[in-house]
Amino acid sequence: MDDLFLPRVARIALVRDETPDTKTFGFRFRDPADQRDFRFLPGQFLELSVFGFGEAPFCFASSPTRPELVEVTVRRTGQLTDALHALGPGEEVGVRGPCGNGFDLPSAQGKDLLFIGGGIGLPPLRGLIWNVLDERERFGRVTILYGAKTPTDLVYRDELREWAARGDVELLVTVDRADNGWDGNVGMVPTLFDKTELRPKTTLAYVCGPPVMIKFVVQDLLMRGFGEDAIISTLERMMQCGVGKCNHCAIGHRYVCRDGPVFTFRQIKELVE
Amino acid sequence: MANGARTIAKRDVAHWLAALMRRAEVIAPVAAHGGDVAFAPIASPEQVLFEFGNTLHPPKQFVLPQTDPLAVIRRNGNGVEIEPVHDDRPRVIFNVRSCDAASLAFLYRMHASDLPDGSYLARAGNVTLVSLACTVPCELGFCTCCDAGPFLKEGTDLQLTDLGEHLLAEPGSDKGFALLSEAGDLFRPARPEETGLRIELEERAKKLFGEETCHFASAMRRISTGRVAKELWEAMSDWCVECGGCNFVCPTCYCFSIKDMRQDGSWVRCRTWDSCQYHAFTLEASGHNPRERRADRIKRRFFHKVSAQYYLRDGTVGCVGCGRCVRVCLGTTDMPAVVAAIREGAWHG
Repeated sequence: MDDLFLPRVARIALVRDETPDTKTFGFRFRDPADQRDFRFLPGQFLELSVFGFGEAPFCFASSPTRPELVEVTVRRTGQLTDALHALGPGEEVGVRGPCGNGFDLPSAQGKDLLFIGGGIGLPPLRGLIWNVLDERERFGRVTILYGAKTPTDLVYRDELREWAARGDVELLVTVDRADNGWDGNVGMVPTLFDKTELRPKTTLAYVCGPPVMIKFVVQDLLMRGFGEDAIISTLERMMQCGVGKCNHCAIGHRYVCRDGPVFTFRQIKELVE
Repeated sequence: MANGARTIAKRDVAHWLAALMRRAEVIAPVAAHGGDVAFAPIASPEQVLFEFGNTLHPPKQFVLPQTDPLAVIRRNGNGVEIEPVHDDRPRVIFNVRSCDAASLAFLYRMHASDLPDGSYLARAGNVTLVSLACTVPCELGFCTCCDAGPFLKEGTDLQLTDLGEHLLAEPGSDKGFALLSEAGDLFRPARPEETGLRIELEERAKKLFGEETCHFASAMRRISTGRVAKELWEAMSDWCVECGGCNFVCPTCYCFSIKDMRQDGSWVRCRTWDSCQYHAFTLEASGHNPRERRADRIKRRFFHKVSAQYYLRDGTVGCVGCGRCVRVCLGTTDMPAVVAAIREGAWHG
């Protein structure tokens, strides 16, 4: 109980450029016992310390089925993320967590799964997607819809190709604005709905992305017959402690860091600011 | 709490305090600059005040310092080392008013609930509260509306009542019983006329407070069901200057941020007080702010303190009626004024 605010030291083992302002970092704990004992669920998040700059919450972008590296994908947006982007392999950071509730995968067993990501909203889904693909036989159809502003803003490009090449996943990618050399879909994410076969009665939809995308995607899914409990998203708020104490992420008497960050659309509707 | 009540002659109190100071840091109300009264660690028993309204600042800083070190982070040849900071020094907070004792009990429950906050509990768990019951109301207090005074039934380790020549001491916990037994002959069992006088003083103090002044129940019904008009929050928010004073003098406010502060070539990971009234409290890195307007933030403050949702979670309203927000608010958006406005559906500024 004394380590509620105490980070464990981890070393950066991987840095991969995703887009001009986004990188994926992979960590390994310095203490082998920490590395061995660390457990998390997709959809949970960690508090990452960049020493001298403090902490910030990032969702796990990797899957618990691949525990060699804990990964986060981070866009450069402020002091701490600037400092993180300047770090390279071998440098040390702090990891506290896991925090939050995570996706309820056992209840998704046997269901068709629809993942809908927008821009930097794919990372929280990526951990879940790899978890599902590593236990592929437990689930029905898997469909991934992903959109970004431009082709340059697409993250995990190698993995998108890998998913597209697998026979057991349907992947549709779109961009808001094409550039030279893009011969894929152009348009907002909801335009992909007509390009796949949706089965609202048997499907759980996981939606992550910017608020405006979530709004239109959810409206569309509801119109197409998805139930409010079958639409699942993760919320973001300004967070500090990640353990339900500091009050920054409170919405009414609920705490995104503790009651969430994963909520069904029905739960989100019931949140009162 | 009357079980085990004992009495000490006022002329012996200095001896008792001296004995307490030998085994703990004793924090008590003392004379401060400009005629103020402030809680501070004492250097001698004579400093301790027994007749005072209340301090400008609550004793919160002794369990939750404004800047609270959680860990020291150093870089050496082997890489980063993180050393947790533990402060479990024994402390006695002496002559704390009933409202403030109730607030410390509230803060303890907050930090012990759900995921226990070991750093806070280590410090607060080693605090012994010796409270001083209020026989006359202070200028701005409304503790009778919050079940936090003028006398306490629970939430203090030892409750003192000024009987004139003597102090009556009622233990409210094992720590309180221990204090009395450690003090030995300085205390004797209370006589029936002394416990009788104490009851009389409490009744008299309650009458002096008069009618309840802060009608939480009605405000709670409205705020919990979203029945406070947006316009009312807007009107109130026009009077708030976002100074955060209400939060910082509030004995039950505990919102914080976490920062790394540079110190002697290392960093100190600190918990620092924060205010829900500040724009940056909910400002996200993207620039989006879910509580963009001041009205949203005032609403948040009073939802947290007064709503039934929080009442059910915490067991009390998030207010002990100390009246400090009334004293410091530059714009009159203090607890009694806002509760009255919600109840009446109108803001008079």
